[in-house]
Amino acid sequence: MSETTSETFTLVITGAPYSSQAPQTALGFAQAAVEAGHRIDRVFLYGDGVHLASALCAPPSDETNWSEAWSQFLADHSVPGVACIASALRRGLANETEQKRYELPGANLRAPFEIAGLGEWVEGRIKSTRTLYFHAGD
Amino acid sequence: MSTLIMIDQPPYGAWTGREALDMAFSLAAFDQPASLLFTGAGVNWLRQAQEAGGIGQKSVEKNLSAAPIFGIEAIMADRSACSTYGLDENSLIEGVTLVDADAALLTNYDHTAFAG
Repeated sequence: MSETTSETFTLVITGAPYSSQAPQTALGFAQAAVEAGHRIDRVFLYGDGVHLASALCAPPSDETNWSEAWSQFLADHSVPGVACIASALRRGLANETEQKRYELPGANLRAPFEIAGLGEWVEGRIKSTRTLYFHAGD
Repeated sequence: MSTLIMIDQPPYGAWTGREALDMAFSLAAFDQPASLLFTGAGVNWLRQAQEAGGIGQKSVEKNLSAAPIFGIEAIMADRSACSTYGLDENSLIEGVTLVDADAALLTNYDHTAFAG
């Protein structure tokens, strides 16, 4: 048997669900990495990737709900999922704190996702042994 | 641990370039060495005298001029892309270094990232 080094990953998702395959590919990678004994330090949603954290995605019942699937993965493996605050607010994604701050009519951030700044990405980039990006590819 | 942020999207058709710039500024704010490389249509970011008001946007020149203040190490533009878009030393904003965006350049960085 060959020895494999255990890696720690920060995953950055910049492609939105349903307009790109980025969240699906990233989830497939994350599941495979965990099964192989690696650790996912955190998932950072940036740009259009923040749509993955929406609690209001309601695809037809015969399609995978990627927001729900990702939430489940994060909860099952205690992985922090963070949506960039600037990207999120531009695109209509808010938690209750931001709802109050900007007097918005609702909050739609799906647990366990959180909203924070790019510093979370910087920290992940420093602490994890690898940082991988999942883009829309256009 | 030096990071190269690459911008390959034109300045006003998409938001990814602005978000890439934010990534670079964020690294610099946390004292992480960061440089910017503009390639493809992204070199249009570096054109002098942009008048974005006509489309209800703010010129990205002002955003870019903050780069040295934040501590961005270098602003580079791919030479061949500049040639494609008719940009030379006279039409580029100040402080831009022309480079060949090839594999050799990337070896100077241990991390490269796009915003999208």
